[in-house]
Amino acid sequence: MLDMAAEPAGRFIEASQIAKIYETGGGVVEALSSISFDCAQGDFLSLLGPSGCGKSTLLMIMAGLEPATDGRASVAGEVVMSPRADVGVVFQDPTLLPWRTTLENVLFPIEMMRLRRSLYRDRAVALLEEVGLGKFLTKRPHELSGGMRQRVAICRALVHEPKILLMDEPFSALDAITRDQMNALLLDLLIRHAKTVLFVTHSIREAVMLSDRILVMGGRPGRIVATEPVPFARPRAPELEDTAEFVALVARLRNAIEHSYGGHRAGGGA
Amino acid sequence: MTTASLQTPKVAAMQKRPSARHQMLVRQARIVLMPLACAFLMLVFWEAYVRISHVPAVILPGPLVVLATMAEIYPTLLLQAVPTTIESTIGFLISCSLGIVLAVLLCYSRIWREAVYPNLVLIQIIPKIALAPLFILWFGLGAESRLAFSVFISVFPIIVSTYEGLTNVDPNLLRLCRACQAQEWQVFLSVRVPSALPFIFSGMKVSITLAIIGVVIGEFITAQAGLGYLIVASSARSDTPVALAAVVVLCGAGLLLYGIVTGLQSIVNERYSRGGSR
Ligand SMILES: Nc1ncnc2c1ncn2[C@@H]1O[C@H](COP(=O)(O)OP(=O)(O)O)[C@@H](O)[C@H]1O
Ligand SMILES: [Mg+2]
Repeated sequence: MLDMAAEPAGRFIEASQIAKIYETGGGVVEALSSISFDCAQGDFLSLLGPSGCGKSTLLMIMAGLEPATDGRASVAGEVVMSPRADVGVVFQDPTLLPWRTTLENVLFPIEMMRLRRSLYRDRAVALLEEVGLGKFLTKRPHELSGGMRQRVAICRALVHEPKILLMDEPFSALDAITRDQMNALLLDLLIRHAKTVLFVTHSIREAVMLSDRILVMGGRPGRIVATEPVPFARPRAPELEDTAEFVALVARLRNAIEHSYGGHRAGGGA
Repeated sequence: MTTASLQTPKVAAMQKRPSARHQMLVRQARIVLMPLACAFLMLVFWEAYVRISHVPAVILPGPLVVLATMAEIYPTLLLQAVPTTIESTIGFLISCSLGIVLAVLLCYSRIWREAVYPNLVLIQIIPKIALAPLFILWFGLGAESRLAFSVFISVFPIIVSTYEGLTNVDPNLLRLCRACQAQEWQVFLSVRVPSALPFIFSGMKVSITLAIIGVVIGEFITAQAGLGYLIVASSARSDTPVALAAVVVLCGAGLLLYGIVTGLQSIVNERYSRGGSR
């Protein structure tokens, strides 16, 4: 956090006045409207909001995978025009190549970036061992559980040593128990691999458990309705969920989400 | 008494498992045995009909006569089966190479896609067999005309299925490639080709049967050699048992080639089919 002479503090990832309009055959969808935020190096920032509020769209714009209609996304002081080598992305769907083994899937970005496989093989194996998949290196995706596949996808996003990790609801397809395990695993992984993380979720508890700061988003058009810092010290244990402070913060966030609907609807995220 | 009555449900459960397995075996056996039984029954009816109605063997010989003829002239049959099988295989392989190259062009060239693809679809509709005599005119009486005609009718399924396979790639995988800054040749080799393999092989299964049909029609017309030639020549002599014997061997050759393609397909599908990626 102190080695940031190059970038101004708090601006490692920056979105300024981002708007996104999808024009489809059926009409025009205003997916995002004047989104601005920034994120310091090493921070864990969550985008929290109900389905359809534009979280994925925003993350894809930050990743350089989708152009913004207006405004500017920048990473490490450079405007994002296309995908960058210092960013790793984890999608909602693990998107593994079904014909490749676990290890070959993790090495896929290395091949695509035309780097030397031999230089990264050991790192890939070490990452897989770290997430408990050391015995599954030669298995193929259909032989793994949903949680295991998403762990492979996380290793794949980390293998080329990016500074930034962008994650789009990576655990939303998993059952509640597996999801808690994955949250603990991610917290643990980030202690050893310091990354700046932008994390999309519709789960309030997940956001509170993982983040340093939470941006609450509302829909139609997608916009930021509240910003909440998360004051809990790290490392964080699962018992944190039972503390009064945690429960109070969850309640405050739920309130903010409900307000984003104009108070008419109850119960936002899952 | 009490122990016996306590055991009863347990014993019943234990007996149930092998019986479930037994039921599955029976089900699998039925899948194989029922069509075989049906075919055998039809042969029996055929034989019975021929014997009762005294149809002359020139019109319709019974299956037993055909079998006897096969045993009698098997060296001729095998000799004629060789060129048919070889030419079908070569025609099929040319179709595969040509079809895949054309599909790649369609995948990457907008002009090809816009100008050529609709015409390819249109050619599909015309009865291609009608052009067979013209191929003899253009390519002569040799193997060239049979191969050319075989390729002409068997290449389309390869083009269409390969094109579908190359273009219907999981969009999530393409997005992953973009995130990894992959170049298109890498996407082609690492994602498009493996995704297309199951499609290509289902096209090949259609293509191999068409390749054989193409060669046999060529043999009908060029009348030089092969099982197709044997069929027309013996029919012209009213030697119906020989014609039917040649048809049986042709079926055998067709099944052999189809079986090889199907075998390769199941190996490829085991690894490359999309099943269970998510
Ligand atoms: N490719 C697209 N074309 C048209 N509309 C889209 C497209 N992607 C997303 N949208 C629309 O934009 C809005 C935001 O979508 P998304 O970013 O996926 O939300 P979230 O990830 O929060 O569920 C939705 O109304 C969705 O229908
Ligand atoms: Mg989404």
